[in-house]
Amino acid sequence: MAQRDSQLASKLSYFVGVFLALFALFAFLAWRTLDQVRVKGPLYEEIILGNVLIADVLPPPQFIIEPFLLTLQLVEETDAAEITRLVDKGNELRIDYENRQEFWKRTLARDTMGDLMTVTSYRAAMEFFRLRDDDFIPAIRANERDRARRVLDQMQQRYDAHRYAIDEVWKLAEQRNLANESKADGLVQSQISTLGILALGIILVVVIMAWFARRAAATLSQRVQLVSDVADRVAQGDLTTEVPSTDDRDETGRLLFAIGAMTLSLRGLVTRVKQASVELMSTATEFAATSRQQESTVQGFGASTNEIAAAVKQIAATSQELLATMEGLNAVSGQTADLAEQGQSGLSSLDSTMDRLAQAANAMSARLGAIREEAAEITGVVTTISKVADQTNLLSINAAIEAEKAGEQGLGFLVLAREIRRLADQTAVATLDIEQMVKQMQTAVSAGVMEIDRFAEEVRSGVGTVDRVGGQFGQIISQVKTLSERFDTVNHGMRSQSQGARQIGEAMGQLLDGARQTSVSLREFNAATESLRDAVSVLKQEIAKFNLGH
Amino acid sequence: MLALAFRAGTADLAIAARHIVEVLPRMPLRAPSLAPAAVIGLLPFRGTLTPVVDLCLLVAGRPAATQLGTRIIIVSIGTGAGARLIGLQAEDVSELIDCSVTTRGLHMPEHAWLGDHLAEQPGLPQLVEPAELLPEALIALFTRQPAP
Repeated sequence: MAQRDSQLASKLSYFVGVFLALFALFAFLAWRTLDQVRVKGPLYEEIILGNVLIADVLPPPQFIIEPFLLTLQLVEETDAAEITRLVDKGNELRIDYENRQEFWKRTLARDTMGDLMTVTSYRAAMEFFRLRDDDFIPAIRANERDRARRVLDQMQQRYDAHRYAIDEVWKLAEQRNLANESKADGLVQSQISTLGILALGIILVVVIMAWFARRAAATLSQRVQLVSDVADRVAQGDLTTEVPSTDDRDETGRLLFAIGAMTLSLRGLVTRVKQASVELMSTATEFAATSRQQESTVQGFGASTNEIAAAVKQIAATSQELLATMEGLNAVSGQTADLAEQGQSGLSSLDSTMDRLAQAANAMSARLGAIREEAAEITGVVTTISKVADQTNLLSINAAIEAEKAGEQGLGFLVLAREIRRLADQTAVATLDIEQMVKQMQTAVSAGVMEIDRFAEEVRSGVGTVDRVGGQFGQIISQVKTLSERFDTVNHGMRSQSQGARQIGEAMGQLLDGARQTSVSLREFNAATESLRDAVSVLKQEIAKFNLGH
Repeated sequence: MLALAFRAGTADLAIAARHIVEVLPRMPLRAPSLAPAAVIGLLPFRGTLTPVVDLCLLVAGRPAATQLGTRIIIVSIGTGAGARLIGLQAEDVSELIDCSVTTRGLHMPEHAWLGDHLAEQPGLPQLVEPAELLPEALIALFTRQPAP
């Protein structure tokens, strides 16, 4: 991995190096071009040289030295043809001068040099040309040489003025050019130094960029290394690796997150598979156990079937015996019907006796009611006697008190009062006894009435019971009569039961065969379960290679 | 010497015959408004309204039983012009007994009105004085004379 990392970094460095080299080449070329084309540079010098050469070779159109020279020539010329040629030449030069003057008027600014060029020198030149055309050339044509020479003197003055102005212009132009040259030179020099600073800046930026890129590459390769480590461990079956979570939402961050999620889901999957395999194993074991149990059950079933067959034979024999018993029972039921009829006739006589008993009970109840009323009357009389005795007692007490107060005279009366009180007390006691007896009698009468009522009720219910018993006897008789028919039905059922038992015996034989076949199938099923367990064991071993960390 | 035996609640008591004016049968009475609870009614007797006190209520806190033996004993308290008649309702008022032989029983300062026992009589009834039997508040209530 480290090798790959260095490869990435060295590639990056290589690209940066190439870029720097190319940039240096570009800067050098730019510097050289600038150096060559700058003012006072080689090319500039050549161009200037060309211009200077033209200026040196050609007669200056703005300097009227040539027309002046022509006038000097004309003064001495005598040949008419030559004069005409020189005059024409002079005219051409004037036109040239005016054309150029127009140009300079347009081009030059209205400063000192412009004024000198277009006003001072121009005015002198125009004076010169006017003197030449108006005075000099007619004098020459008239061949008046002296007048011509005088005019020439005037023209000489104009020329000098012009010449002076032009010299000034030249000086000014020279100064201006020098100033411009030095300005241009300075500009280029400053541009070159700016270029150098710019180049240094660019190199610095590139170096910083390279450093950042290297760092980014290092982070990237670190993340990739982490991810590849996790992937290696997952490949080796270690699913416990925790992928460090990162907040970065860039590609590597997402890759880390995805690898983490993948590991988690893989862990969950393998865990589930592991659990499933364990469950599968236990299920297979249960299968084996169940099938073995079923095998033994089937064997037991075979034995049970044999027993059932024997039992069915016994049932058949028993039902035969039952058939004989039923016939005896039929005879007994006939006798029962006779007895029930006798009982019914006896019951009807009991019924009438019961009715009479009920009437007697009612009469008794009425008599007891009368006795109760009598007792109530006795109680009233006893109450009256009690009140009288009480009054007597009170009287005797008051009499005794009065006698006591009377002292000796009342002694006899006191004895009498005591006797009266004793009699009254005895009367009270007697009435108390009577009252007690009457109460007991009333209680007894009440109890008797209740008993009689209960007896009457019982008699009434007895009458109902007798009626019900009579009805039940009737039912018994009719049921006993229907019993004979039922017995026939039972006999028939018994016979068919015997046959059924035999058929059950045969079915049991078939069931035994089935059980034997089932036993064979179960053995095969057992073998299949064993192979399932083997397969599950292999699966478990495979899953065990995964480390789930618990 | 004779005394009238009676019962008030659980106490067997007797009053000397000389204090007794008359014995009357139990009769329905109407209690005077706002009177103490023991005063069960005013009885017209010989031209005056005689207040009647239930001794059972006074001694045992329950009214006397409605029986024939329950009677009203009219007694006189005070002497001369201050004498007043008072009715005492008690149970088992039916016997005059000899009270000539008396014996001291327990001395209870809070129940000083209980007098000597009549040792020869069944139940050992205790002699009581009508003037001491009633609480002082009731005595004051009955003997106070209206302002002239």
